[in-house]
Amino acid sequence: MATIAVPIGAQAEQPGAEAVRRPALSEYLRWSVDHKIIGVQYGISSFLFFLVGGAMAMAIRWELLTPALDLMVSGSAYNSLFTMHGTVMIFLFIIPMWAAFGNFVVPLQLGAKDMAFPWLNAFAFWLIPPAAIVVLMGYFVTPAEAGWTSYPPLSTLFSGDGQTLWALGAHLLGISSIMGSINFIVTILNMRPEGMTLWRMPLLCWAVLATSIIAVMATPFLAGALTLLLLDRVAGTTFFDATGGGDVLLWQNIFWFYSHPAVYIMVLPGMGVLSEVLSIHSRKPVFGYRMVGLSSMGIAFVGFTVWAHHMFTSLQPELRIPFMITTMIIAVPTGIKMFSWLGTIWGGKIRFTSAMLFALGFLSMFVIGGITGVMLAALPFDIHVHDTYFVVSHFHFVLFGGSVFAIYAALYHWFPKVTGRMMNERWGRIHFVFTYFGFLFTFFPMHIVGMLGMPRRVAVYDPAFTQWNQLIGISAFVLGFSSFIVVYNVIHSYFRGPVAGANPWRALTLEWATTSPPPVTNFIDDPIPYENPYGYGTEAATAYLDAVDETFRHGGLASSSH
Amino acid sequence: MNDNRNRSPSISPGAVVVAAIFLLVSVIGINWFTSFVPVVLPPQASAESKSVDDLFYVLVIIGGIVFFLIQGMLLISVIFFRAKSGDQSDGPTYHGNPLLEIVWTIIPAGVVVFLAVLSFNVWMQNTEPKATVNMIDGNEIKINVSGARYAWTHTYQTGRLDDNGEQIVINSGDKLHTYIGQNIELELRTQDVIHSYWVPAMRVKQDLLPGNPATGGRPTELRFTPVRVEDETYPAAYPIVCAELCGDGHGRMTGEVIVYADESHFLEQFYEPAIYAILNPPADPVLRGEILIQEYICNSCHTLDSLEWSSRTGPSLNGIADRAGERVPGQSAEEYLVQSIWNSQAFTVPGYTEQMAAFGPDQTDANAMNAEQLYAITAYLCTQGEQTDCDTENQTTAIPAAIKTSFGLDVDITFGQSAGEAGTTETADEG
Repeated sequence: MATIAVPIGAQAEQPGAEAVRRPALSEYLRWSVDHKIIGVQYGISSFLFFLVGGAMAMAIRWELLTPALDLMVSGSAYNSLFTMHGTVMIFLFIIPMWAAFGNFVVPLQLGAKDMAFPWLNAFAFWLIPPAAIVVLMGYFVTPAEAGWTSYPPLSTLFSGDGQTLWALGAHLLGISSIMGSINFIVTILNMRPEGMTLWRMPLLCWAVLATSIIAVMATPFLAGALTLLLLDRVAGTTFFDATGGGDVLLWQNIFWFYSHPAVYIMVLPGMGVLSEVLSIHSRKPVFGYRMVGLSSMGIAFVGFTVWAHHMFTSLQPELRIPFMITTMIIAVPTGIKMFSWLGTIWGGKIRFTSAMLFALGFLSMFVIGGITGVMLAALPFDIHVHDTYFVVSHFHFVLFGGSVFAIYAALYHWFPKVTGRMMNERWGRIHFVFTYFGFLFTFFPMHIVGMLGMPRRVAVYDPAFTQWNQLIGISAFVLGFSSFIVVYNVIHSYFRGPVAGANPWRALTLEWATTSPPPVTNFIDDPIPYENPYGYGTEAATAYLDAVDETFRHGGLASSSH
Repeated sequence: MNDNRNRSPSISPGAVVVAAIFLLVSVIGINWFTSFVPVVLPPQASAESKSVDDLFYVLVIIGGIVFFLIQGMLLISVIFFRAKSGDQSDGPTYHGNPLLEIVWTIIPAGVVVFLAVLSFNVWMQNTEPKATVNMIDGNEIKINVSGARYAWTHTYQTGRLDDNGEQIVINSGDKLHTYIGQNIELELRTQDVIHSYWVPAMRVKQDLLPGNPATGGRPTELRFTPVRVEDETYPAAYPIVCAELCGDGHGRMTGEVIVYADESHFLEQFYEPAIYAILNPPADPVLRGEILIQEYICNSCHTLDSLEWSSRTGPSLNGIADRAGERVPGQSAEEYLVQSIWNSQAFTVPGYTEQMAAFGPDQTDANAMNAEQLYAITAYLCTQGEQTDCDTENQTTAIPAAIKTSFGLDVDITFGQSAGEAGTTETADEG
């Protein structure tokens, strides 16, 4: 344990490092190749799109308060509403939001000065605003109204120009995603500090690596599908038109070959966040570190073999069986993660910080999404609930109960590192309570209306389901309201929050072994990682953490910066 | 210094009590969950629905075990393993337990294999070919379903011939008529986009896929067998829903499965009266048109109060005869109406964007319409108004003239009855 004496490199020998300056807010509006600036740019723009997509969700639930068409002028207007809700939430919120945390945290966790390709990194981000404008411009022509899945021929022969803009925008976002992912893969594989083998890498890096591999392999298929769709729409080809020898199932196959793995693009980084937050805030090593890391890779691999379960009602019957089996198998690596996380907090000393509450909320909600996932894999039962509110409920348990809860956990966890100030814990707890119960009562009843016979994507429905939909609607408004609490908390804490210090959570990963916020070069000197990123509870770890505190005692955020 | 490394939490009497309480709660909870299974599912109106629900029952039990295991451990953790106030120390350095990790890999793998085998068996049982399908009056017939934006059309190829030697086809619109014990096999075709035919009470669903009409489309099949539901009065009606987004009117693309108690009720109340009506159509083109217009999917987009239609995707047909002469300059009311139906692409009423489906002699299935049917439907539409633009005095000449001018076709305004065949007259007299 010779490293205890000088645990974090030469920084320890430079006492009284300069007070840290926060980047001016205007720097976030400009082109920058600093991964920390880009991370915040991703984060703020994604969160704005979260609010836009959330407002659309509120309009959807408002319309569904009654069985008749009332808020919307037509069924088509409603269709464009949920089409945009899905598109904005997936392509403009969740995926870029993980790029935000990946960008800010991964190079710091690796002790690196920046990403491998800083210019490419900035370029990937700056593709998003124009892409968003192109997608949303559909509202000035005929908006896309074929759902985010855009099945032809509804999206080809029966849709207006907004569908073309939608496809172009999605294309640009796909390019952004591929470039960002290549950058992550190269960074993680090549820029680890000496002593950090793959097996000593923080689990967020494992998750981002797995995610990036999926994105690089799957997104080109989306690009191919979108290209064919655009050609069918504007160049008169008939890839998806049966009268010209095309096939509508071609789209479904290629689209889902991307879009099912895309679910893992949206949830795997959240699983990485969970491993970090649960371990740090219960002061205990991640249980079964290797299996948690490997299961990310397992999910990434098996995730490529399950796409046709989205086509159980259109696929040839004899082809449905193999996809049922692969879909069930993917529950196994997911189960390994769930049990390992429980093993992590079991016997620990849990601190109920806001980050920890959202991480625990993820555990208790995501498990429901996992259970309904296995139910949906069971082919005979899926035939009944396919394309119903049961499915809507299932994927919101995965993407909201999973991804969004993890995003909130990550926000409360890394906000001190990004801004140098702590978030308000009281408002964090209030936010959690509203989000948790708003979410549960919005999405759990959807299982039931779906099983009883309510299909998804309808503006008018059987009056027998009115009361269920009113319960869902009111809960959804509570859930929508809860996002304003966190907006207030972020703004308030940015200006008035208590100064965080370098390592407020006493975490062992390297992003905490520098000032908050970190200097432009991240570290004054190359940091030396602790032998195990989650090795809490040993004297060596305590000594390392004490040394970090000592080093940065005087290097915190200058209190006069605001 | 590694005093607490690799030390597993020990088992105390308190833990045993907690585990016992947890087990008890789980058993009661799972039992409570399963009591909801019949409540959250529609009635079991088909043989298939029973095996699907049994599978769901197993899924709820296994899902319940997982749910209580995870939530229970979570709850125990947050209650018993919270840091005492002021305790800044770390937890035990416990990195894992290979045996435990193997256990929680192998057991879930075993469970999903079990579920896959179980699902496979239910699937094979439900999709097993039946000895006879669509048996009506001792004959197997074909029942076709056509999906078009935004209505279902069911047609029965009866196999019986009318006086002209043509097969009698019953069009029952958005209703599928069947009886308990009949093995139903539907052949589904779409006229436009993808639809999905879902009967929640039967637990069956199948997409309709666009194919090449020149090669007969791309038919898909759906099979189920209605069974008796306790406390149900027959004939019973169960909703049909479109489950795949198909456009503006997706939500109201619905229908009904009408189940009769047995075959004799089915024949008496639906099948024979329908055939009789086909063999004895009214000679009056307006009455005939009123029947015909309801066999097409017009109601899926248009409003027409006299027939209680209320869809608003397309323009209203209320009082259409008062406006038909003014819509397109140079077209008489009759010409406008016949062209709006057969040549619907040519003109779109201002304020509407969606293209109306095509009807005519070249169309297939539910959209096929011959000149005589067009004549009768136009005659009916000409009665929808007060100061009608149509020449109602001379409808027997004005409408055929409009069809002749527009499409160059002659119309048999007697609907083939002028041939005066003995059979036709007799049948008519019987009525």
